[in-house]
Parts: sequence; structure tokens; C-alpha cells
Amino acid sequence: MSATVPLHRVNVLTGIKSARQIEDPAEYGRLIKKAKRPLLVLGPLLIEWSLNGKPLLEYALEIAMGTNIPIPICATAHVKGRMSELGVKPASEYDVVEIINALKDPDWMGVKKEGNHDLVIFFGIRSDLGEQGLSVLKHFAPHLKTMTLCRFYFPNADYSLPNIRKDEQWKEFLETLIADLKGKE
Amino acid sequence: MAELKEIKRKLEEVERLIRAEIPWEPVGPTPMPEVPALRNWDMRLLKTYKPFYAPFCDLCCLCTYGKCDLTEGRRGACGIDIKAQQARLVLLACLIGCSCHTAHGAHILEYLIEKHGPDKKIDMGRMIEVEAPNIRTVLGLKPETLSDLKIAIEYVYKEITHLLDSIHTGQEGSYLDFESKALHISMLDHVGMEAADIAQIVGFGYPTSVAETPMVDMGWATVDKTKPMILVVGHNPATSAEIIDYLRANDLYDKVEVGGICCTALETTRYSDRAKVIGPLSRQLFFLRTGIADVIMTDEQCIRADMPIEASKTGAVLIATLDKAMYGLPDATEMATEEIIKQAVEEKKHFAILDPGKAAEVAVKVAMKIAPKRKKEWISEEEAKELAGRCTDCGMCERVCPNLFSIGDGITEIAKNNNFDLIREQFRRCIGCGKCEEECPREVPIFKIMQQAASKEHWKIRAGRGPIMDTEIRNVGAPITLGTIPGVVAFVGCSNYPDIEDIAEMVEEFAKRKYIVVLSGCAAMVAGMKNDADGKNVYEKYPPDFDAGGVVNVGSCVSNAHITGAAIKVVNIFAKLPLRGNYEVVADHTLNRLGACGVAWGAMSQKAASIGTGCNRLGIPVILGPHSAKYRRLYLSRKEEDDWRVMDARTKKIVDTGEPSPEHLVYVCETKEKAMVTIPKLCIRKNDTPQGRAIKLNHYISLYKKYMGGGLPEDLHLFVRRDADIPIVYKKEVRVYLKEIDWKPKEPVGLPTIIGTYPTKVSVDSVIQ
Repeated sequence: MSATVPLHRVNVLTGIKSARQIEDPAEYGRLIKKAKRPLLVLGPLLIEWSLNGKPLLEYALEIAMGTNIPIPICATAHVKGRMSELGVKPASEYDVVEIINALKDPDWMGVKKEGNHDLVIFFGIRSDLGEQGLSVLKHFAPHLKTMTLCRFYFPNADYSLPNIRKDEQWKEFLETLIADLKGKE
Repeated sequence: MAELKEIKRKLEEVERLIRAEIPWEPVGPTPMPEVPALRNWDMRLLKTYKPFYAPFCDLCCLCTYGKCDLTEGRRGACGIDIKAQQARLVLLACLIGCSCHTAHGAHILEYLIEKHGPDKKIDMGRMIEVEAPNIRTVLGLKPETLSDLKIAIEYVYKEITHLLDSIHTGQEGSYLDFESKALHISMLDHVGMEAADIAQIVGFGYPTSVAETPMVDMGWATVDKTKPMILVVGHNPATSAEIIDYLRANDLYDKVEVGGICCTALETTRYSDRAKVIGPLSRQLFFLRTGIADVIMTDEQCIRADMPIEASKTGAVLIATLDKAMYGLPDATEMATEEIIKQAVEEKKHFAILDPGKAAEVAVKVAMKIAPKRKKEWISEEEAKELAGRCTDCGMCERVCPNLFSIGDGITEIAKNNNFDLIREQFRRCIGCGKCEEECPREVPIFKIMQQAASKEHWKIRAGRGPIMDTEIRNVGAPITLGTIPGVVAFVGCSNYPDIEDIAEMVEEFAKRKYIVVLSGCAAMVAGMKNDADGKNVYEKYPPDFDAGGVVNVGSCVSNAHITGAAIKVVNIFAKLPLRGNYEVVADHTLNRLGACGVAWGAMSQKAASIGTGCNRLGIPVILGPHSAKYRRLYLSRKEEDDWRVMDARTKKIVDTGEPSPEHLVYVCETKEKAMVTIPKLCIRKNDTPQGRAIKLNHYISLYKKYMGGGLPEDLHLFVRRDADIPIVYKKEVRVYLKEIDWKPKEPVGLPTIIGTYPTKVSVDSVIQ
């Protein structure tokens, strides 16, 4: 079996430990619901991207709000401003290297001061920077798991979507995940 | 006993080389330092600014024990772990960077000494007495002639060898010591760059002791395509200066176009204001493929490795002028000039010619002979549309794009809708690597189609002016140190930008806010590649002075030494601290009292790694663009938790300021918007007066509101010491916020220093004027 090649070749894995590729939103849902202290890290591509006219940021917020206890959000770059326009205040505001620097410390108390997070979900960060950040956590944060929601395969994550070429397929994944998180809590 | 003898011998040798007996300043504690001399300084920096490693690879593949897997705490067969392996590769990158600049310096020095003799005096003009701040500080030498610069170069060569040795399998094993070595060699990079540029200024008669250098033409549209065109690419100006001389001497100056890509362009325009800057490195391949150049001359660094292939594609003749990149070409240095010309013209043969004078003559004669036969028209919209029709939008181009966008979408828009808007926008983001075209299964000539997307605008750029004048430092030293000039922001480095217009927008923002903006290299070019509604760019709108609101182009890559040099001169001329062999004191002053910040937004090369790391050892923080996470290492603090204690040099008491200033030493920003907010924050220093701090916080808050969507920065309270620090405009809002979080005022530190907070030979008193 050949390894999955990430969409952007600059992110080709040069190592032996790579992400589990998951295509079933129910499995993603189970992993998210199982987490005790998840964190959703939202990047600036969510402001640029949309699916059928619906901004990706709205999908991200629905994921965050979908669980019984909302998943705290860390807004990177200038995401906070757009979130405020949508009436949502992030639990914290760090740039991506800052939040990763904090996450790799097992003693960090997390964005809610309740202890470090056990599952960190990245969404909307440019794939080269995201992949490097995931590499930091892969190597230096064995105390947590990482997951990505972008339509690309991220080898350095623990759980990643495959490369998804069609908008409809990605949309369906996200909508099913949101429904799953809302319905089966 | 033998060891003591060796130490004494080394000391005597250093004293001899720096002419210690000449008492221009007392010799400080670390003249011509070797690695251990400043190690404690490094360790103190690294205690607060801890290395943050983002491994680019899980493995080590450097020796035949490997490949070794370094994941999950594993060590390699030699015992190395993943952190040390990353630090080892960072050191290697910094060594490559330093060796490029220093070898450039050595070559140019040899060339100029042959031209002018070893005793040619270093005269930087009447406004510059501190001629070589980096060399004075690091070596303890005050260079007086070209041959004195050789002492600096040879010292750096020795250290490069020593440190390269430490990378060998089974040597250094500590990531912190690898980092200390990277900081050491990067400090020396600034010595190498300074020696190179002083030699160039003296030897070529470049502008010096002047702010208002000529405005020169920039952009491919400035090239008169009816004339023969010589393109110079790289960093070393020896051959391009000879071309100018040849054209002048033979009355051909009006008949041949000379334009440059990357730093050779900047160097050539320092020599002749009639030469043209074609553009930054990211436009190299694009311009090569336009076929406008008749002769392409490469020297060194950042030149494409496939240059002979690219030259042949358009029928241009390539001349490689330095032994660092000879491309397997025949060495024609000893061949008869007329024979080289004959073969170049008739057979389109490429050559290496290592004699700059001969290479120049050949280039001019060949260009004049082949130019009339060349087709030099850019393709039409109709042709572009036809070529674009081949694209099936398969997406392969996106997969290989280092800037992660789909040029296929832009091509498809042309083919289907005759719409060039998307590809125009993509051209701004294109870094010019050509991987898309290489990957395309339909062989769509993407770069050719881009000719229709490329702006035909042309701009002016102010020629590089070299060092900042002592008189300017005298004027701005106090306001920078007190904070009333909110900061010095240096935009440097390569052109691996998320968007080429980012730099111009950042320069505009900070010049408008009365920061001092300094530029070099490709960043200096792209800063000028955006006109406002009145058709003016930042060089035309802002004064060229090293003063509040000035926009200063110092020149090429090696001119970066003048930026660190300016910081050092503030310490010497304003704070009146001696430089000679006194690096720790100088760096401590910069770290704690001088509001300066570097921005290498498109950093790509190993040279950018060493330039930035050299700034870090001097206490200057650097912001990098998002691609630069691939450098593998940042120096980050955790602002709420790290050690922000300093010594108050006046009271000799340790004070816990709790103030993260500067917060990081190397930091990657995800977006331009984030960089806009991070720059003012990294210019905050503990030494700021209340007035200065209020000015800095005013910019921090207003930029935060502008780019981050309103509100106040979450960490604002960490930078407010007393009510007087709060900017008047935001007084009410900030007071409410501070009350909400139960903020308590704290006394500013009289004279902040970290000397005295770690083991060092330097006394706390030595930081006092």
C-alpha cells in the first residue's frame, strides 16, 4: 500500500509516523465527543474560503457550538474580528505558533485554565504552516492528539481528512459531522 | 601550564591583529571572540527565548548509520535527539549564509585590492566616523585600509571552519550549544557583510555619507526592448561594474540596456544610476522567459541552478562569472576574446569567464551582435488565450506550488471567459519557481501566459545608500532610546512572499506612523512596486532620511550590516558606550533599550537565516512570513510565564518587570494583518519613557483595532506600567479594561539590563554611560 501524498507537495512526509486518514464523519464525531478538553484552532483561511456561498467560518462555529459543552475556540491571525461580526467571542486569541508553543507544555492550563487540551482540532491554517505546527506537536506533545478539518491530508496530524477534490464531498463531511455532534451528544 | 601558554599566545595574536596598542578605545572583554566567549550571553537569551522546533523531517540522513528515526524520544545511532538535530541543521543553514556573504567579501576584496592596492584608505565620507561598527564591536579592530578588512574576513573564515566541524557525526550533542554556535556564526555574518560592503563602497565609489541617493528605474517595462540587453543576476557587482565601465569607455552607454535581478541589480544601480532594477528574485524566471535579455550574466547566490537551460530556451547567451557557479561550462577565461564572441554568437554557446573585465567586454559585444536577430515581443491576449486553452484544470500545478495556490484556475479563467483578473492576482502571489509549468501534463507555458498578467507598470527605487550617517544617529539616538520615535523597522530579505504587495503596504503603514523604515535586498525592491492613487510609491512619498517617517534603502544583502551597524552606532554615539570588543554590553543595550524590529517577510534562503540570527544575538527581534516555519526553529517566549527579570543598573537590584519586551526573538506571523500588530509590539522596550511608551501603545492599539477587528489587545496590561503609559486617545477605554482585570501599576526600571542576571565577566557598571 502506498502512502497518502498530501495535496501540497511541500508537505510530503519525510518520516515514519503519519496521520490516520479518516473519511467517515461519524468517526470524527466520536473522537471529538470522546475528548475531555478539546480545542478548536481557527485560522484565517476560514475567512477566505466558502462552500456554496456559506463561509467556512460558519461551519467552524457550528462545529464548536454543536457539542453539549461548546468547544473553546482559539482564534489565530485576524480571525477574531470576523468572529465578532458573527456574534461569537473566542475563548482565546493566539497566533498559530503561540498556541502551539503553549500546547506543547503538558503543564499549560489551557485556554479555559482547566488543564491542557487532549484534542486540538485545526481548521483554516495555510497547509505549510499548519503542517509545521503539527510537526511540533507530533514530536513534542505526546500528551495530546491533533486533528484537521481542512480538505487536505496533513501527514503530521494524528487524524486527518484525505485530499478532497470536490466541494460537495467536503461540504457533506462537515454537515454530517455537525449533525452528528448536535444529534448524538 | 601548556593550556595557559596557549591562551597567552592566542591573546597576543589577537592583540597583534587588532593593533591593541592603538588606544582609540580600551579593548573590551571579548575581542575576536571564539565560541565560548559569548556562550553565557547566548544561554541567557535562550533561557527567555526558548528554541521552538518544528521538525521538517523526522529522520536524520546525514551518515551511513542512518536513516535514523528520531520520533517519540528516539535517538539516532550517534546519540543525537530530534531537538539537537534541528539545531544542527539551523547551524548548518547559518554557516551557509555566513559563508556566502563572507566569501563574497573575500572575492570582492581580492578584486579591489588588485585594482586599488592593499593600502587604499577606508573613507566613508565626512558624515561617518564610526566606519565599521560590527567589526569594531566584534573584533575590536578599527579598519583603516582595504587590507585591514582581510583580517576580519580571515577571522570569520577560521570560525566557519571551526563551527562546520561541530556538525560532524559524533560531535556536539546539545541543542542549546548548537544554537549558541548558530548565534555566533550569524553575528560573524554581519562582520562578513560589513567587510564586503565597506570594500564595495570604497572600491567602487558607491554613495556614502548621503541620504538622497539617485532615484533609478525599476520594472521590466523600463527596458527599451529595441536595444541590446544584458541581464545581471546574483549578488556580486565585480562584473556588472566592469560592464558599466566598458560602456562608458566605448561611448556605448546609450546603446545597451543593463538591468539586474536580485542584489546585483541593487549593486549595479549604486554604481550607475542609469542601470535598471528589473525586479526581485521572484521575477527571475519570469523575466528570463520573456526573452528580452540577450546576454545573461550570473555571479553568485540566488541564481537559478538551471540557468544554461533557461538561457538556451530563449536563445540568450549565458556567461557565468564566478567559480561558485560554473554550471559545467567551458572555462574561457584564458581563451581569446574574439573567439569566445564568435562561438557565442554563431553557436549560442555559453561560457564561464572568471576575469570580470573580459566577461564584460564579451557580454557587450555579444549582446550587440545577437540583439537585432531576436524576437522580443510579449505575447498578445489572443495568443495567451489560445495557449491557456490547453489547460484541463487537472490541479497538478496546485499540488507543487510552494505558495499553495492553483494557477490552473487562473489559466482556465482566461481560456473560458477571456478573464485575466484572477491570473493578475495570482501573479502577485507567484514566487517564480516554475514548478507548476514543470509539472503540467499538458505543457501549458504558464510563464509565457503570465506576460499578459504582469503589470507593465514601472517604478522608481532609491539607490542603496550604504551606512546610516553618524549625524543622523546623533539626531535620532535619544528619541529612539526614549521611545518617542516609536521604533526602527527593517524590512529585509528574499521574495518568498504570501503576496508581493504586503511589503509596500507595511512600509506605508509604518512610515506614515513616523517609525524609521529601513529596507534592503529584494524587500527594498518590492516596497517600491506599488503606486498609490497619485501614482507615487513609498520612495517618492517619504524622505530618505534615517529619521521619523523616513524610508531608507541601505542597499543589497551585504548592506544588512549597516542596519545592525546603525543599532550599534546608537549605543556608541548616543549612549556613549565603547564598542571595542564589547559585544555583550552593546547587545544588552539593544535588547533592553533600543526599539527595533526586523521583518523578513519573504525569507527563503540560508543567508536570511544567518542575517536574522545575527540580529537576534544583538538583541533585535525578527518577524518572519508564514513560509518560514520551514526554517525549523523560532525563539519564542511564553509571555505570562517566562523570566522577565532585569537588573536596574543604577540600583543594582533585580526587578521582576513581568513585561515581555521584546516578547519574541524570532517569530512567524500567519498573515500580514498579524504582522502589522506584532511589529509595534516588538518595538516596545523596558527603557521607554512614559511618553515614549504611550506613543508605542497608541500604535499597538490603533493597529490592533484596524487589523484585528476592534477591541483591545489581550496582552495590553503587560505593557502598561503606570497610568502615564496609557495613550490619551484610548485613556478611558484602557482604564476600564485595566480595572476589569485588576491591573496594578508598577514602577518602570531606571536602567534595565540583563548583565548581572547570569554569569559574565562584564560588570553591571559597564552598561552605564
